[in-house]
Amino acid sequence: MGHVSTTRVQSYIGDPVSDRPAVDRDMLEEVFQDIQADMRYDHELNGCLNCGICTATCPAAHYYDFSPREIVQLLWTENLEGIHDAMQEKIWACAQCYTCAARCPFGNSPGGLIMLMREAAIKHGMQSAKDVLRPFSRVMLKLISTGNQLAPDMINPDHFADWGPNISKIDAPLKLLRKAVPVPTMHTTETAWQVNLKTSVELYTIWEMTGVLDQLETIDENLFDVITDIMDEKREDWDDWVDEQDDEDDED
Amino acid sequence: MTGDKDSNGGERFTGHGSEWNNSSLSGQDAQTATAWVEQKIDKRSMLTNKDRVEDVRDIMWQLEKDGEIVVHRITEDHQPVMHKTLYGWDKKIPTNRLWHHKSCGQCGNIPGYPTSLLWLMNELGLEYLDETDQTSCTAWNYHGSGIGNLESLAAVFLRNFHQAYVAAKAEGKPEGYYYPLVHCGTSFGNYKEVRGYLLHSAELRERVKVILAKLGRLVDGKLLIPEEVVHYSEWVHAMRPQIKERQVIDCSNLRVTVHPACHVYKMVPEDVIYDDDVLDGNRVAVSTGIVEALGAQAIDYSTWYDCCGFGFRHIISEREFTRSFAIDRKIRVAVEEARADVMIGHDTGCITTLDKNQWIAKASGSPVELPVLADCQFAALMCGAHPYKIVQMHWHASPMETLMEKVGIDWRAKKAEFEAYLKEVEAGNGETLYDPRRMITSGPGYKRIEG
Repeated sequence: MGHVSTTRVQSYIGDPVSDRPAVDRDMLEEVFQDIQADMRYDHELNGCLNCGICTATCPAAHYYDFSPREIVQLLWTENLEGIHDAMQEKIWACAQCYTCAARCPFGNSPGGLIMLMREAAIKHGMQSAKDVLRPFSRVMLKLISTGNQLAPDMINPDHFADWGPNISKIDAPLKLLRKAVPVPTMHTTETAWQVNLKTSVELYTIWEMTGVLDQLETIDENLFDVITDIMDEKREDWDDWVDEQDDEDDED
Repeated sequence: MTGDKDSNGGERFTGHGSEWNNSSLSGQDAQTATAWVEQKIDKRSMLTNKDRVEDVRDIMWQLEKDGEIVVHRITEDHQPVMHKTLYGWDKKIPTNRLWHHKSCGQCGNIPGYPTSLLWLMNELGLEYLDETDQTSCTAWNYHGSGIGNLESLAAVFLRNFHQAYVAAKAEGKPEGYYYPLVHCGTSFGNYKEVRGYLLHSAELRERVKVILAKLGRLVDGKLLIPEEVVHYSEWVHAMRPQIKERQVIDCSNLRVTVHPACHVYKMVPEDVIYDDDVLDGNRVAVSTGIVEALGAQAIDYSTWYDCCGFGFRHIISEREFTRSFAIDRKIRVAVEEARADVMIGHDTGCITTLDKNQWIAKASGSPVELPVLADCQFAALMCGAHPYKIVQMHWHASPMETLMEKVGIDWRAKKAEFEAYLKEVEAGNGETLYDPRRMITSGPGYKRIEG
């Protein structure tokens, strides 16, 4: 996608009277190429007649300045400025229900394309991604360090005041209520179920080898540091246990 | 925008340009004109009238023949039941020897979901394994945050399903003994999507093979792919005749609305069960099938196709969207239009969203209340499971009490029994659905159970 920078319109994004800092054309191309390079891109985007059935059926379109049809059109027409602009806010409105994909006569998946754009927003450390994901850090901490995304101790009135007083209708300590769940793996409060140490270590290896930890570092360096500390300890614990087993085997 | 007069004489806005003229059709003519739309919209044809649909299982069998992968088969020992999917293809649903792929949202927030399922399996005398060597699918986080990628999702899928394949060795049983049963709708949709990409892409297979090799999770040096990805609601659907046999509570007076989960039937829709005997085969059959089998009245409503408003990210940080959508597009419609007594679902985020977001409606001066629970909880309750010890209804914020009263369960007495039971639990006399020693299959804490 070669180009010659001549005018502001060709070189920079957006409204010429806007105060928003200009985005270099090379950056726009790099972001788009990252989206397009994903092996899912051609599967998720097949064409678009602007019929709008995706937007008509989209839950997020009811409440936000967001239209899956617009997203598909921006990508289909390779509108680099528009794509970059949409990544500053709009892509985070999508509820990921895939109703758009179920309905699209072309077999497009606007929801799937949104995921490629979100991944690119993270890769490029866009402020929109940092802002939007800050409240998500508890989930990421839990997931990356334990292998569980959600835990009983995350559901409490401090975090979910709008759920009212009935988060549990039995007045008893959380720990006791969890012990009364008749499934032994679920006698936990800090994870949804008891996760084997080896399992957490294996998942962490997956995060490392697939570049997920790099994503995390780009978005939230502090969280990255906390998680790597926790996981270094877990790995040491696992290595110690393996050594102990080897010693026991040698004694036998 | 053009102002116009409708047939009732009231002004309305058409949204069209000035060249647009009202057709002035009679009511009957208008109905004829829109009959085509009514035949198509919200019907199975919306999903089937597309091109480019293929059965990825054909690729899977070919790859196995070529020596590229190993397929974890559903054998006769898994007592499979065949069901038809969207295009009339066969899907094999294993009903015995199941490995529970738990859901973090269900276990963390709606524990009655897995407990009811395991209780039903005990009642039916089926074998299963619930163990600690399993991670979340990580897809809730991915869809909410964008942290993760196709490679990480694929590696997690293959790791967990490999563990399901080898888990029985801890009990001295052969590989492949247990077959994975996925509890979460998002895990189900995500795993199927990932399976499709893995089968299509040699490059993706190569990349994740390196990771799975490092984890020691290849079979004969090859990736292990499951013959079917199976959701627990499909198991409930397949087992509804046996569940019906154990029903002890009459629920024929209940008006039931079903909320189908987007990630169950909108993601990889060609793999979803449709049954000509359930809603004329126009809607996904699971959940409605068990509701009807138990004799309750399944009531349709105009926003059946809508999502719940969970949004993955939204339930954490855009709560106004989540609760507004849940209340206005689902709960209020079910109550006011369908006059429902209960809403039944089959996914994690949906049950959480629809159950927990009702209380806040009081703040808008327009309260609305409807009991919300999962199909397996409903089935267990109708089969006589204890509402609190097993169905764990106290974790639900919506009015479970009105549901119990409607089917003649004395919830006050049951609640008192459970409160007394808590004292037993405190004293270390809690009951479990299986031998707790079975839950650790390797690593610290593992002990081989003899006999």
